[in-house]
Amino acid sequence: MRKFFTVLRYELKEYLQSKGFLSLTLILTIAGVALMFLPRFIDLSDFTGVGGKGEGSETVEESKEPQELQQMIYLDEAGIVDVAVLEQFFEDTLWVEAKSTQEVQKAVEEQTAEAGFVVKSPTQYDYFVYNKSMSDTNSRLFEQAMKLFYRMDYCAENGLDFQEITAMYDVPVTVNEQVLNKDTGSNYWYCYVLVIIVFMLISLYGQMIATSVTSEKSNRAIEVLVTSTSPNSLLFGKVIAGAIGGLVQTGVILGGILIAYEVNREQWGGMLDMLLHIPAGVLITFAFFGLGGYLFYAFLYGAMGALVSKTEDVSKSSSGLMIITMVVYFFSLVQLQNVEGAVIKVLSFLPISSYSTMFARIAMGTVAPWEIVVSMLILVVSILGAGFIGAKLYRMGTLRYGNPIKITTALQDIRKSKDS
Amino acid sequence: MKLEVKNIRKSFGETEILHGINFEVESGKALGLLGRNGAGKTTTIRILMDVFRANSGEVLLDGKKFEPSKHQIGYLPEERGLYPKRTVIDQMIYLAVLRGMKAKQAKENAKRWLKRLEVEEYESRKLETLSKGNQQKVQLAATLVCDPEIVILDEPFSGLDPVNSQILKDVVSELIANGKLVIFSSHQMSYVEEFCDNIAIINQGEVVLAGELKSIKKEYGKNRLILSAENMSLSELQKKMEQDYADLVLVAGKQKEFLILELTETGNRSNLMGRLSGSEIQVEKFGIYEPSLNDIFVAKVGEEA
Repeated sequence: MRKFFTVLRYELKEYLQSKGFLSLTLILTIAGVALMFLPRFIDLSDFTGVGGKGEGSETVEESKEPQELQQMIYLDEAGIVDVAVLEQFFEDTLWVEAKSTQEVQKAVEEQTAEAGFVVKSPTQYDYFVYNKSMSDTNSRLFEQAMKLFYRMDYCAENGLDFQEITAMYDVPVTVNEQVLNKDTGSNYWYCYVLVIIVFMLISLYGQMIATSVTSEKSNRAIEVLVTSTSPNSLLFGKVIAGAIGGLVQTGVILGGILIAYEVNREQWGGMLDMLLHIPAGVLITFAFFGLGGYLFYAFLYGAMGALVSKTEDVSKSSSGLMIITMVVYFFSLVQLQNVEGAVIKVLSFLPISSYSTMFARIAMGTVAPWEIVVSMLILVVSILGAGFIGAKLYRMGTLRYGNPIKITTALQDIRKSKDS
Repeated sequence: MKLEVKNIRKSFGETEILHGINFEVESGKALGLLGRNGAGKTTTIRILMDVFRANSGEVLLDGKKFEPSKHQIGYLPEERGLYPKRTVIDQMIYLAVLRGMKAKQAKENAKRWLKRLEVEEYESRKLETLSKGNQQKVQLAATLVCDPEIVILDEPFSGLDPVNSQILKDVVSELIANGKLVIFSSHQMSYVEEFCDNIAIINQGEVVLAGELKSIKKEYGKNRLILSAENMSLSELQKKMEQDYADLVLVAGKQKEFLILELTETGNRSNLMGRLSGSEIQVEKFGIYEPSLNDIFVAKVGEEA
């Protein structure tokens, strides 16, 4: 046990003293925290809908200067357009009436107008735009306005009270929502983010652990190490050090951002709640299952590293694990929309996938306590199994140089050495 | 302290690599473990270090099962390697602590051995920034940092210049003089001759010659003489000996400066000297043949190969 801690300390020191590790952690944390504090120093009210520079949550109405308004041009051949209605649909827009289609087209081409509309009849219009962006909503909004013009025109022609009919159609309904268990809609995005984080952790640190093991083989440090301590101490020390390194890095970055957001939540008007206002219970579950899944894969990555002698072969050796984690990642994200489905239920018990699916179920669905306990037990037993097999593969592979050893060959050799 | 390796056998898959290795070595003495590349020396050492497990046979220390983890062993592997990106002192302390030493003692020892090997100025440098020779010395310092009772050196002189070789020779001599049990594997026979009282030559997974080096040399030099002439080339002399002296000697070999002759059953040194003095051969060198370890090694491994 003492030797395990010696390896752990030494390996951990390598992570924590690495300039790359420190600078990445520091830069991401500072950048994240600074971003969360941004509304205190810069007016983001347009974005957040909340007054900036510490003015609390009071909404500030500001009249825009004409030069800040975007200009749109229209030609009303049908005689139904009401500019006041258009201004309700298009905020901060100055509407200019054209005399001809050519004028509309010219204004758009010369980009003096953002867009142009030629209303040919109550049910038909042409839309002119210079560059159509992916998020262009002008046409959709104008179509809604056109429908309104049509109704208004119809009511006027038939002697109907447009206001009365509108009021009848748009009866205001008051809803008092009381979510008794989980609010899937608001929990979805942070679950999505956490699934991505744990996937990145496993992939990134798994590769780092595998590379670290292979490096010891390629630089032959392993020759001295295996004669100084047991392979178990070496592998477990290395993997746990990687786990702590990953946790520290993720904890500092994520923790910094979450705390900074909580401090500035009011300034953000709660608009990032869906990403960053994560309940403590979910975070704890995420920590346990995420760490468990991470350890499970880390042991296997360590063993895969021992099967090759050159660091350039690591990706080849660990490609199988990478594929499994990617498949799990894909299924986890897809199944987030159906947390009560059979697929995610099965995945939440498998050690290869419970790390990302169980906490999602806990956050968004209904999970019986026994399910959590059983899933955790399976994960713990699997981690021990992965550690045991990983150490065997590590012991068998560490002093075998040359061509990469296939995992099937390695397992056969282990079985043979056990039999003999 | 006496270490005995008894009838070690080891297979990898279906192939038996070691076919029953036997040798022994005592404290204050060095054993030269010799063999061609792939003979089984490193596998034997790894079994000694408990990195590999033998299929059969045993390793005993003072008659009891040898458990490497319970002893301080300094192992310098043939495949050198430490952490290139870590500082010298850092990794030396790490290795010493891994072998059971307290950190404070480990640091003191590390500094002492770095100083003894004349690389103390590099203690805070990353290993990769050192020359190959200095890296080699750091590796040796790391081997000895825990003041081991048993020292196993696999090709310790490879990559060292003559000055560094001399430093290492002095260190190895000190280890032996201090009563350490030393196992010394090398292809450089002159070093083995210099340090080792006993040798074991391994060829194709078995010990083909083992014992006290002095006795082995004596046995190999027995009934063998050297001869060269001032007025004849070695080839002419060889021809002469094979034609006129076949009743007394056989030509066993030819070296750069003399022939090696082996006395026949009827021959002896006095007869040969008598005959030579009355012949046209102007004797330049005549004496008892003292084989070098290299001669013995080539003869023994050459025979078996």
